[in-house]
Amino acid sequence: MAGTATTSPTARVFVLSDLVRAVRAGLIAVVALAAGAFLFESVLRPLIASATVDETVTQTLAGLLLLLMPFVGYIASSSTLRPIARTDILRAVLTALIAAGVVHVAVVAAQAAFEVGPFAERASLEMALVEGEGGIIVESMIPGGAAEQAGMQLGDVITGIRRDSVDLAGLLTRVGQSQPDDPLRLRLLRDGEEMQITVRVALATESNVDALLQGVVIALIVAVVALFWPGAWTPFALLILFLVPMVVGYIWLIIATFSYRTQGLLPLDGSGNIGGLTLENWRFLTTNNIAGYQFDIVRITLNSLLIAVAMTVTVLLVSSMAGYALSRMNFPGRRTFLSFTLILHGFPAVTLIIPIFFVLINLANLPGIGQVVGFNTPGGIALVMVAFELPLGVWLMKGFFDNIPWDIERSALIDGASRWRTFRQILLPQIRPGILALGIFAFISGWNAYIIPATYSIGRGTSNLPVFLNSLLGETSPVDWNQVAAVGLFQLAPIVVFFVFAQEYLLNIYAGGTKGTT
Amino acid sequence: MEVTLENLTKKFGNVVGVENLSLDIRESEFVAFLGPSGCGKTTTLLMIAGIYKPTAGAIRFDDRVVNQVPPQDRNVGMVFQSYALYPHMTVFDNLAYPLKLKKVPKREQVERVQRTADAMGIGQLLDRRPGQLSGGQQQRVALGRALVKEPDILLFDEPLSNLDARLRLSTRGEIKQLQKRLGITAIYVTHDQVEAMTMADRIAVINLGHLQAYDTPEDLYDRPKTLFIAGFVGNPPMNFLNVEVRREEGAFKARNHAFALTIPPERGEKAASQSGEVVLGIRPEDISVAPEGELEGEVAVVEPLGRDDLIDVRVGESVLFVLADPHLRIRAGDKVRLHVDTGRVQFFDQKTEQSLLWS
Amino acid sequence: MLPAGILVLLFFLIPVVIVIYLSMTNLASANFTSNLSKMEFIGLENYRILLNDQFAKRIFFNSIFYVLFTLSMFNVGLALVVSLLTTHIPRGAGFFFRAIWILPRVTASTLYILIWKRMIAEAPFGIINQFNGLLGLPTYNYAADRPWEFVILVNGFIGVSFGMIIFTSAIESIPKDLLNASLVDGSSLLQRIRYVILPLLRWPLLFVVTYQTLSLLTSFEQILLLTNGGPGLYRTEVWSLAAYHRALSNYFGNAQWGYGSAFAVVLVLIGVVLAVIYMRVFRFSELVAEPKVEVL
Repeated sequence: MAGTATTSPTARVFVLSDLVRAVRAGLIAVVALAAGAFLFESVLRPLIASATVDETVTQTLAGLLLLLMPFVGYIASSSTLRPIARTDILRAVLTALIAAGVVHVAVVAAQAAFEVGPFAERASLEMALVEGEGGIIVESMIPGGAAEQAGMQLGDVITGIRRDSVDLAGLLTRVGQSQPDDPLRLRLLRDGEEMQITVRVALATESNVDALLQGVVIALIVAVVALFWPGAWTPFALLILFLVPMVVGYIWLIIATFSYRTQGLLPLDGSGNIGGLTLENWRFLTTNNIAGYQFDIVRITLNSLLIAVAMTVTVLLVSSMAGYALSRMNFPGRRTFLSFTLILHGFPAVTLIIPIFFVLINLANLPGIGQVVGFNTPGGIALVMVAFELPLGVWLMKGFFDNIPWDIERSALIDGASRWRTFRQILLPQIRPGILALGIFAFISGWNAYIIPATYSIGRGTSNLPVFLNSLLGETSPVDWNQVAAVGLFQLAPIVVFFVFAQEYLLNIYAGGTKGTT
Repeated sequence: MEVTLENLTKKFGNVVGVENLSLDIRESEFVAFLGPSGCGKTTTLLMIAGIYKPTAGAIRFDDRVVNQVPPQDRNVGMVFQSYALYPHMTVFDNLAYPLKLKKVPKREQVERVQRTADAMGIGQLLDRRPGQLSGGQQQRVALGRALVKEPDILLFDEPLSNLDARLRLSTRGEIKQLQKRLGITAIYVTHDQVEAMTMADRIAVINLGHLQAYDTPEDLYDRPKTLFIAGFVGNPPMNFLNVEVRREEGAFKARNHAFALTIPPERGEKAASQSGEVVLGIRPEDISVAPEGELEGEVAVVEPLGRDDLIDVRVGESVLFVLADPHLRIRAGDKVRLHVDTGRVQFFDQKTEQSLLWS
Repeated sequence: MLPAGILVLLFFLIPVVIVIYLSMTNLASANFTSNLSKMEFIGLENYRILLNDQFAKRIFFNSIFYVLFTLSMFNVGLALVVSLLTTHIPRGAGFFFRAIWILPRVTASTLYILIWKRMIAEAPFGIINQFNGLLGLPTYNYAADRPWEFVILVNGFIGVSFGMIIFTSAIESIPKDLLNASLVDGSSLLQRIRYVILPLLRWPLLFVVTYQTLSLLTSFEQILLLTNGGPGLYRTEVWSLAAYHRALSNYFGNAQWGYGSAFAVVLVLIGVVLAVIYMRVFRFSELVAEPKVEVL
């Protein structure tokens, strides 16, 4: 039997129209991102600069877009082939690889045209260096380049910059951070003789063939991965990616708290080796001393607690009653009061921080209550914070009460309860989740308060934990970050408890502030 | 206890809830407030309970004007449409709450709650919470809570409308029996006329905040005083035709261009006293399909109701609702002759809409 | 009611009057008094100075730049992306990710900034520079060279949660029928977002944009702690921080209460106007329905 060639469509290894579609999608993505980068770098940047804002954000964003540009291009091109990959893997992979190659060529061309990526001009000494014995050896120089002009010679061994000795990585970093024309005075050995030569940093395009080749490999890998990447993972991958910068910070906090010292995320012991885990940083709880700075941690914690508890209790009491009255009772001025609360709810109270200073100072002059709620007292601080929190609290509470059916209240009244009794025995129990949520919210804002205590109290006596934490950065020098981290974690601990056990309430309350307004 | 409403008016801002409502409810009487939703019947009920204060007029319990008396001092019991059970309390606590507020001794509270719960058939549910009960059970708890404090007046605000049809039917009878046995004055708000007709001693029909009629169910049905009542009470609704009634050769004839009917003298005489056109009303069950019928028409629609077929018959320019025997197998498009039981026709003035028979 | 009324009077109404009055005095450290009647009234002089202040111009544009970039990238942009992503994965996982986004908002500002200071510290201590080192990139002194990037990043990470929660609840309240209908129509995920979800998010979007504009415009705590307006002269100084610096925490030890108040009054006016606009836009009248019980 002679074999007959199968000509079913799935057996075709390559279809031109697929390739065209894939390349087009890739190119559109590349052009879109390049256009975005152009917008940031060449349109927005001069515009913002002309408004006297001294920023580098637009530059960073443009750089980010250009960095992502090739990858987005490969992914966009590959994802048009994903349906094919389900039935005909060979054909999809082949098409994807060719498409990625084409897109890569386009990317390289664009990078060359705009002098970005591997074609970017960057600070350079215009010589090739290798790490050698006793220093960095000059291997070659660009004719007429900065190094040659300065009088460097092949075989020179660079040992340092000015007086500081340097290795290859350090030198390159130093060059990278320099502006064009900055002088770098290199200390070097030539034929065993020590001498110094000043090289002026130049801008140069080092079109780097290695980088381009690596680029092709990356393009092919990305294209294949994008072809088979499980779509359901994408949201998770993106969500994790977004969170990395923040979560890393908290991870540092935990590592730092329990280690002797840290470099980045690495815990180190006294001699600089990895390790050095310790509980020493928590000694401040008993010694009341960090690097010679004396304090009374119990007093400070109590102050924090006092502000938080006073705030929780007052906010709950006042706003539950006011919320009830606004939701359920008719009295003259109700409408006015309601609209007023709503305006205050949207109004940023912190803009009143200057005049409240005068209110508190004048309150402090009142005999009697001035000692409790005036300037420089925890009571005064709590009172201001309560006032700031009230519009939100009243508004939330009103929303909770609004959601209780009228019939329940009517029923209680007919059963023989007074209005006050109905409030306490029938309505309050039904908004318990709301009360709990607002209570936690108020406690957290009180416990975390910084700007108001810092502004309205003098000295450490009335300061709370956040203020104390900040003062540690100013009062101790050099700052012992690991001990400070321990204080920070100490402050964070109750928040973490709420965070773990009352997440649902927290999530709701931060949206609840707007309940009824959307 | 007797309840008297005198020119009762309630306004919410500029919106009229109830206007000039006057009626009296006798000791132990069961009165239904019947009307479409938003007509002011619940408003009236809440004023009797003390939740709303009247804008004008008076509410009397026996001889005492209670306009300003707060609800806790009125000794009324109320069952809400939503039941309004306290969700954070057990059934026992729900039932005991009115007693607790009355400062009834603990021991007596337990005893009375148990007795009421047993009477309601919820004695075994006392430690549950309302959320764990079925709709029917919740309804019984609500009823029990209204009864446990032995109120002078029982108020019902559409208590059956959240129950399924079968349960509604049985509960209807139980409430009626209970009220008769306890002899408590009861006011029952509903938009369901079957409920009102079957349960109430007297029905107050309310529309747009005004009292339309206040009569026994029989009078409302057989002797409607206004066109509105005639059309509102009864399902399927009464048919209305414009006719002229004249005495012809010793008999009274009602006629329009499509037909002529002979009316018995005791009704015909009153109708004929009005010159020009009057409105003739006849209920669907008082028309029958008969070969020797006086009217002829064509069947437009047939709706099988089970026991009867409701057929729409086009007679001249008007359409009559007729209840027909399903065995006749009438189909749309059939020509039928109709017989009218003229001893049961109603007549109304076209302009004033008042009955010409029962003024 | 009454305590709420007193607190509102004491810490909202009276301060508004005081701040307007202060802005028309030349009160400074040199002639400081807390007695309002002894202050020297100079009319609109402070506002005239403000208009001609070159630094004020720079601070003004700084604020606009800061608000626009933070709002568009984080408070609205990333918030929308996060809420769309977390509503398209299993419920529990979505909840978990949203909960983590709450973390910066419930962390004390001083601790949060302390962490970020370590993030951007110079090599070898800085965390970002450690990653740079691992990737073979040069290290930077971010605090000196890239202050705006981190001002925006730090505030943006706090700001995401607000919009995220609002958008999430709006997305979750979209009737399932509507989404199913679009599935039956054979639309892709992106089409569904574009044609079903985003149009229904118009009101929440408007709300988040207006509300967060005001929040960003008036909050200065994180910037105060992170850069204190620097490095250099007013590089990251924003309007609300300028008011605070002038009146309450001056570099040069000469607090200008009057002039600082003039800065603050501008914000107070913007705040009042925007707040009144919300009240109009977001259907206030529905919220003041009459009580349905008339017993006292």
